[in-house]
Amino acid sequence: MDFVTDALNGLVALQTELDRLLRNPSGGAFVGLSGAGVYPPINIFRDQKGDSLVIRAELPGLTPDDIAVSLERRRVTISGERKREHEGRGAYHRRERAFGKFSRSFAVPDDLDLEKATAQWRNGVLTLRVPPMAEAKPRHITIQAA
Amino acid sequence: MTTQDLAKREKQELKAEEGTRPGRWFVQDVDILEDDDALWLWADMPGVDPDQVNVDVHDDVLTIEGRVSTKDYDGLAPVYTEYNVGNWVRRFTMPAGSFDDAKISARLVNGVLEVKLPKSEKAKPRRIPVSVS
Repeated sequence: MDFVTDALNGLVALQTELDRLLRNPSGGAFVGLSGAGVYPPINIFRDQKGDSLVIRAELPGLTPDDIAVSLERRRVTISGERKREHEGRGAYHRRERAFGKFSRSFAVPDDLDLEKATAQWRNGVLTLRVPPMAEAKPRHITIQAA
Repeated sequence: MTTQDLAKREKQELKAEEGTRPGRWFVQDVDILEDDDALWLWADMPGVDPDQVNVDVHDDVLTIEGRVSTKDYDGLAPVYTEYNVGNWVRRFTMPAGSFDDAKISARLVNGVLEVKLPKSEKAKPRRIPVSVS
């Protein structure tokens, strides 16, 4: 879906699209997902160009140094700790933000190349990108004239 | 396999008011702390670029607002989702005249907005020395 060309309704289109799947959690079977409802919540996309799997998680207040992404066979684990700051500096009026340790694992389909996975960090959002295996891409064979 | 210290919380959707532009808004989780000199506010608002944040104080109401960019989602088709995305907004009514509006500062780091509201001179605690005669 092209959310950018329609600047006015792009956000609405994105929200509707995400909502459609929020009400249908069975899609998790696609990535062999376990532990739904634990931190951090994740969204998974297919990149329509190139067929990579894109996994996104909101982790506000962390830095790349606080987050570990480990890959083992087909399993991806995102773990880390969000430490409380400013403790003892004054009196709290409100304290709504959550802190502590987290760890979450899930498996990715075996047509993806975890060796070539990349991670990006921007504005408190972690994006993992896992490209498809080379052999999963269509190959062209040159026909040799005898 | 999970470690469950940091629990998932559903994002709260703003339902009480409607903007002129379509799309859903969410309410940031905030911490507010008061020390001798200022009131500090931290709001979790991931997915917002620094130039898309708006902080203002008008008639003693502090508004913190941020717009998410949909460009990060271009060309992506969701296959599984656990959270929705949207703009963030929250308003707080401040005690009248307690802060020096001209000195309010804000910065956005790693998806967290920090706002410092320095207290006005009359709102700062004053210690009156007791003399011993």
